[in-house]
Amino acid sequence: MPKALVRLDDVSLGYDARAVLQHLGLTVEEGEFLALLGPNGAGKTTLLRGLLGLLPVLGGHIEYCFDRAASPPGYVPQRETLDPIFPLSAFEVVLMGTYARLPPLRPVGRRERALAAECLSQVGLAAVAAEPFWALSGGQKQRVLIARALASEPRLLLLDEPTAGVDPGAAAAIMDVLSRLNREEGLTIVLVTHQLRLVRPVVGAVIWVDGGTAIKGPTATMLAPERILDVFGALATG
Amino acid sequence: MSALVEILRPDFILRDALVGSVLVGAVCPLVGVYFVLRRMIFLGVALPQLSAAGIAFAFVAYRLVVGPHEHGNVSERSLAIVGAFAFTLGGILVLAAMERQGRETVEARIGVTYAVAAALTILFLAADPHGDAQMVNLLKGDILATTSASLGVLAAVLGAVVVVLFAFRKEFLLVSFDRDLAVVFRKRVAVWDLLLYLAIGVTISLGVMTAGPLVTFGFLVVPPLTARLLTRRMISFSLAAASIGGLTAFVGFYCAYRFDLPLGPAEVAVASVVLAVVTTVTMIGRWRTSARSAS
Repeated sequence: MPKALVRLDDVSLGYDARAVLQHLGLTVEEGEFLALLGPNGAGKTTLLRGLLGLLPVLGGHIEYCFDRAASPPGYVPQRETLDPIFPLSAFEVVLMGTYARLPPLRPVGRRERALAAECLSQVGLAAVAAEPFWALSGGQKQRVLIARALASEPRLLLLDEPTAGVDPGAAAAIMDVLSRLNREEGLTIVLVTHQLRLVRPVVGAVIWVDGGTAIKGPTATMLAPERILDVFGALATG
Repeated sequence: MSALVEILRPDFILRDALVGSVLVGAVCPLVGVYFVLRRMIFLGVALPQLSAAGIAFAFVAYRLVVGPHEHGNVSERSLAIVGAFAFTLGGILVLAAMERQGRETVEARIGVTYAVAAALTILFLAADPHGDAQMVNLLKGDILATTSASLGVLAAVLGAVVVVLFAFRKEFLLVSFDRDLAVVFRKRVAVWDLLLYLAIGVTISLGVMTAGPLVTFGFLVVPPLTARLLTRRMISFSLAAASIGGLTAFVGFYCAYRFDLPLGPAEVAVASVVLAVVTTVTMIGRWRTSARSAS
């Protein structure tokens, strides 16, 4: 019997007290690999930000079945939201993930450095640790951000369009890393994406966000060709 | 050369002014690093001007509430510090609150702040009939008037700012670089912002009191911009900015003494020359690299 990690009970989410999503009733189970899919502007990122605690819950209740203070969710934002003016190496960016468990005044120590190095290795980028973060390719930056999320030692990893704007090879490498983390480490993963073809073979279930609400179901049902055709048109079905 | 030997002597008559200059030159860039990283550079113009308005307001308020004050005494300086700090911190907090609402552009908010602060400074000065040349000097920042006592206060307060910036650097970096991640990590983002603004407010107030708005703005912005071109890591960025600031303040002081120039503008001019040289060398380096990779 799978154990629930996050439960949404009649939840409404939105901005400035204006609900974008209403009456959501969903459960994210431990060890799941979930894709958040839906048309543009449907509220996928709103749901992701709600799960992260970045948006106030306008109604209902989100229950986290783990200690968020001890193990905060790992978060991979869209890399465009980070400002390239910061002079940071790839290693320094990953090290930031360890700040989750470091109280003020406790400096980064040997344990944190070892953890950051290990996380960078997990995503196959140990060799670029000293490189400036902004000099890396789009795909490498995204993997560094995944390593940063892993450095907070999360039970739940949430990613906002991790394969957007990267070339097909890099996108496949990112999906490889994610499916390995899910399969081998049992990490629960929820990702927002538009790339149906890329996620179809790896995700176990899909949360479909549309019309102000969201429903969850197995990948085969949720990504059935007739359903996709209905929403996106013929181009998206292949 | 003899001028250099002279200013390095322990009994140099302007030793306190020299040390004060270098202190302001080294610490302003440490907070200026966050101005550059948070893309709030123009705040570096508006806040020192607000600080100057605070000084002028403090004197007007004192005259209205207590009575005429004597210029040149110690309490006048304390009064000026309180006014400068209150206006600077108040300004930062109001601007930060408006930023969260995000209704106007950052440039508009900062531009209005600067215009209002400059107008208020002149109006407050006009409202104080005792506002003589000495008060104008205070607003300009008369660094040559630095005494051992004021230098002690300056060193202690700026020292505390450096300790705060160093001790909480990971928190300041996290809330500046990725605010959402800081929230996900359940860090008290508003508290860290407030502490950073407090450090910025204290530094600017003392900087304006000691060296004036022009020098304070110059050292908040120019050394960090120079250091940004030379460094690839956060810690080296901060250290390089502080070193460049301290060093250019010293060289500026030497030039002012040696060639009988006004001190503040000489310091800012030296810092700007260093920025121009580093920018040119960096551009040539990039041009050579791209030419090599093209061929």
